[in-house]
Amino acid sequence: MNNKLNQVLKKQQQQIDEPEIEEEDVIQLVGFIIGNEEYAIPILNIQEIIKPIDYTRVPQVPDYILGVFNLRGDVIPLIDLRTKFNLDPIKQNGDTRYIVLKGEDNTAGFVIDRLTEAIRLKKNRVSPPPETINSETGMIYGVGKRDDSMLTILKVEVLLKRDF
Amino acid sequence: MDDIQEILEDFLIEAFELIEQIDQDLVELENNPEDLELLNRIFRVAHTVKGSSSFLNFDVLTKLTHHMEDVLNKARKGELKLIPEVMDVVLRSIDMMKELLVGIRDNGNDTDVDVDISGICSALDAISQGNDIPTQAKQSSQEEVAVASEEKKQDEEEIDYNNLSDDEVEAEIERLLKQRKEEDKKRKANKKKVTQETEKTPAVPDASSKPTTAKPKANVPAKKQAMSAIEQTIRVEVKRLDHLMNLIGELVLGKNRLLKIYDDVEERYEGEQFLEELNQVVSSVSLVTTDLQIAVMKTRMLPVAKVFNKFPRMIRDLSRELGKTIELKITGEDTELDKSIVEEIGDPLVHIIRNSCDHGIENSDTRLMKGKSKGGTIELKAYHEGNNIVIEIVDDGKGLDPDMLRNKSLEKGIITEREADSMSDKEAFNLIFKPGFSTAELVTSVSGRGVGMDVVKTNIEKLNGIIDVDSEIDRGTIIKLKIPLTLAIIQALLVGVQEEFYAVPLASVLETVRIPLEEIYTIEGKNVLRLREEVLSLVRLSDIFGVERVLDNSEHAYVVVIGLAESKLGIIVDNLVGQEEIVIKSMGDYLKGIEGIAGATIRGDGRVTLIVDVAALMDLAKNVKVDIRATGESEAKTKDKPSDYFVLVVDDSKMDRNIMKKAMNPIGISVVEASNGQEALNIVKSGEYSFDAILIDIEMPRMDGYTLAGEIRKYSKYKNLPLIAVTSRTSKADRLRGVESGMTEYITKPYSPEYLESVVRKNIKLLVG
Repeated sequence: MNNKLNQVLKKQQQQIDEPEIEEEDVIQLVGFIIGNEEYAIPILNIQEIIKPIDYTRVPQVPDYILGVFNLRGDVIPLIDLRTKFNLDPIKQNGDTRYIVLKGEDNTAGFVIDRLTEAIRLKKNRVSPPPETINSETGMIYGVGKRDDSMLTILKVEVLLKRDF
Repeated sequence: MDDIQEILEDFLIEAFELIEQIDQDLVELENNPEDLELLNRIFRVAHTVKGSSSFLNFDVLTKLTHHMEDVLNKARKGELKLIPEVMDVVLRSIDMMKELLVGIRDNGNDTDVDVDISGICSALDAISQGNDIPTQAKQSSQEEVAVASEEKKQDEEEIDYNNLSDDEVEAEIERLLKQRKEEDKKRKANKKKVTQETEKTPAVPDASSKPTTAKPKANVPAKKQAMSAIEQTIRVEVKRLDHLMNLIGELVLGKNRLLKIYDDVEERYEGEQFLEELNQVVSSVSLVTTDLQIAVMKTRMLPVAKVFNKFPRMIRDLSRELGKTIELKITGEDTELDKSIVEEIGDPLVHIIRNSCDHGIENSDTRLMKGKSKGGTIELKAYHEGNNIVIEIVDDGKGLDPDMLRNKSLEKGIITEREADSMSDKEAFNLIFKPGFSTAELVTSVSGRGVGMDVVKTNIEKLNGIIDVDSEIDRGTIIKLKIPLTLAIIQALLVGVQEEFYAVPLASVLETVRIPLEEIYTIEGKNVLRLREEVLSLVRLSDIFGVERVLDNSEHAYVVVIGLAESKLGIIVDNLVGQEEIVIKSMGDYLKGIEGIAGATIRGDGRVTLIVDVAALMDLAKNVKVDIRATGESEAKTKDKPSDYFVLVVDDSKMDRNIMKKAMNPIGISVVEASNGQEALNIVKSGEYSFDAILIDIEMPRMDGYTLAGEIRKYSKYKNLPLIAVTSRTSKADRLRGVESGMTEYITKPYSPEYLESVVRKNIKLLVG
């Protein structure tokens, strides 16, 4: 019994120690699906993820801005990433979520089709976006390679920038 | 070092407050050169600043104030007459003092700002020596003596220090400053900024109490001031008040929500015991919230004197510069309004007053020729009117000439000839607010650079305010500003447009009327309404905001008449929800500056409602060209084969649905099923299918057939959709009710399949098949 306990404690200690070593070169992301692609956003930029709630349409704005919603007393814009990525709109369903991103001076909610998982990715597994994409204005931060798939990491500051 | 910093901050706050008042006092002094009380007060300001600045080693400032003190002291003793030329120099030296203080605030010293005081010092010296009187030698040759004796005189008036020698007086000052430093430390420790300077430093009569107590009248004796100032005040950071105001905003939202929930509960549990108790709690919460809101608003209130104070000096300078005689009369300077608004109205007022001086008031010769008094008068009035503050700027100058305004605007291409002809005088006055308009024949340094009044108008409108002009030739001009007391919480009229809601600031709503559609006329592609004696342009809010039209147009329209200054506009909405107190919330940087939207608010049900920007709405309305009476018939898709036709079958019994389906089989149309009214309504609303007919059972759970028919009929595109009731209710009353709710046909159970088939065929106009 005592032995077992010691083992567990040891293991825990290891777990505590280990991340500190790799912390430097690992980024944590939240993965989600829009259309047929998997995208990811650094976890530190995400304020929260909520289930869809009612929103109010705002006139005179591009169609990818669905409107504004009430997040515990704050009025926050809601942006549809499907429309922004030029995909056909679908109806919101049980998997739909709003990801609330917090930038330096802006906060906005983004509609995604469904969440996948939290991802830890070594920095050396992330390569810059293909050169054909303008890295200045493009919203892609990089492409993350995983064992069996790829995911597109989005630039939060570009997503949160007003472009109309 | 920290101590010094603290003292420095205190010194600056105090000094800025002092010089704010000194301007006003000086101008008043010029009119009443004999007023010893005024002189004493001005002298004390110079003296206080000198004392503190020498303690803090601001040599330049000390030197300047010292010279000022010399001059003022002589004037105080009646040895020097304050003629305008002398005042010019004194005022100039005060300006420099301000510059130096700003420099100290920004750089921490008085040498970096690079203000050259040598010129002004010699000018001041020249005054004190030039108007030489026997005591001069004693005065200017021996500074120390002068200072000391002033000190003495000063102290005589305030506290019994007159027995002290010169050195002792100096020592006393040192002691007082030290004492204050100690107090400052203590205050910091207690985190309370209770200011009681008056009790400690006799030389500063009322500086510390000024932010909250109304400014004492000029002729109130200094001793009284000192006494009234003893009442305690607390300096609070504006940031904290803002935070408090935000919290109150949340509370108001919560209160609105509570009221709404109470209404719902009241409906559901009518007559229950606990309802009464709930009612009491809700009422008391809402009452307290309202009181709290008013109380916090009051803490943010400042007397408008804060702005008005700079005008006497400005008028004085302007009248000398322009060579006119202008008198400024201020009334109602005690009127209070929100700090944020006080800060915003300063510049617009400066502009208006400059305009009045430059273009309004004529020079003395012209005035005499017209038989008016030699000097012009500008009146500045402030008073409350409901939830607004009104500021009036009245001059008795030459007034606005509507014809001249029309011609000028024509020349500049601001208006067309036709507009000019149809324009009333009152509308012509408002031309001065058009961009690119300047009435001055000559562009002077004072005003008339072609920008101005239009900026004034925008600034006032930004505060949800209204600006109004009235004028009569040779009698003068009245400019009236009407501004809400606070910016954060406003009264709004909530309107419904199709399925959306918008809030219109109540201050801009003139009236609401309900009119039959036939009363709307079209002139030159614009919709207008004749309202009493006026012709009012009309526009649908749904056209401005591109609201999706789903609901039917009724025979009547609700028109909200909004007005800004002289322009009016009728906005057609679908329904009026009511008046509500709303808290304005920003929509953040991402959605800032959307045309027509001033902000958002959160309603009692937790949903966001957008607030309409009335000024922008009026501009947007000009570009809307939709004939309101034309009904937007959308062309139906052509259907060639029977399976293109869709029929919705609504019945809670699966068997009944199957019977109906079978009956319609021979036609070959597509059938969609729903098991109750609610489900059917959702299918219809989703727009997934475009139905050609709906078969409805009357008795169903969740929503019955009558209600469903009524709901469907609300949508304009389903106005002519055949709704066929299929029911076992056969009484006449039932049939009548069916017709009332919008049913087209009434089939009673049991029925033959052939009959149902033929009725459906007839209704969907598919005869060959």
